[in-house]
Amino acid sequence: MDTENLDLAVIDRASESVAQKKARFERDAMQYTNQMYAAALRYTKDPHDAQDLVQDTYAKAFVSFHQFEPGTNLKAWMYRILSTTFINNYRKDQRRPQISDGELEDWQIYDASSHTSDQGRSAEDVALDGIVDLDVRAALAAMPEDFRMAVYLADVEGFSYKEIAEIVGAPAGTVMSRLHRGRKLLRASLAEYAKDRGFNRGEIDA
Amino acid sequence: MHELDMLPCDQIQQTLVLYIDHELPSEQEYQIYQIHFEQCPPCNEIMVHESAILAMMQNLLRSTCNEQAPDDLKRKIKEQTDALAGQSQVQFFSSSTTITNFTFDGTTSIQVTQEFTHEIRHDFTEGE
Repeated sequence: MDTENLDLAVIDRASESVAQKKARFERDAMQYTNQMYAAALRYTKDPHDAQDLVQDTYAKAFVSFHQFEPGTNLKAWMYRILSTTFINNYRKDQRRPQISDGELEDWQIYDASSHTSDQGRSAEDVALDGIVDLDVRAALAAMPEDFRMAVYLADVEGFSYKEIAEIVGAPAGTVMSRLHRGRKLLRASLAEYAKDRGFNRGEIDA
Repeated sequence: MHELDMLPCDQIQQTLVLYIDHELPSEQEYQIYQIHFEQCPPCNEIMVHESAILAMMQNLLRSTCNEQAPDDLKRKIKEQTDALAGQSQVQFFSSSTTITNFTFDGTTSIQVTQEFTHEIRHDFTEGE
């Protein structure tokens, strides 16, 4: 461990100073706190747990920050830590509404039935107008976790199938299945809420 | 181009979501779908409808799932980062292989080799 080696190591982010690493972390990672919190709420369905989960996520992210490759997708990297932390530390004693992976591969069955007829195209479309935030939150919360997170990561955060697969640690085909089934579930569920609301929207939480 | 017309409607419809989600594997595939939609009003109608529904759902979701992290949480994360950084520094100071730089603005930077960084992170993880 001579001076020459140490000098070379200085340009490596693995050996940047703690102060430099902290500054880089605060500049780059802290901007995602709101998004991390909203995602943590989807995972935990509880504001207190969501805050703990986000805080744990940031602790792990800081400690591992030298492993993050600058220039790659930091948001996706943070989400992967959030997802892993939730699975390892927060889900343990919950009974997980799980669907076997075998059932998940037939994602194509979603399509033909959903846009042909029996879901009542016109009724459903018009009805989505009457939805309020509470309904969306409730409908999301009622979905199986895997479906909920696939929909959230794709439709709120705009991640690609491949990015979601990396975040949740599942094959891309499984992610597709979860996403398509989740969307179908959510759509049907929102249509129900909308039907119940009738024309009362706007007076509830606006 | 003639062969591109040949993709059957059921195949287009079964994989429509890939088109809408911009997940088709190649530009050529997009052309195949676009040509089909131009020539097939029923499939085009379904595509337009599905795209509109999905966009509506995405708008709903985005406007709903936009909770702000409480200030208290942001403060805790900041304090935690400070503490973790401080913890690293204490361990670095105790190592004989660190180089410590005191800079004019009062901050202290410590440089260590990569292997030591990993070792320290390992200790930290175990101590959690």
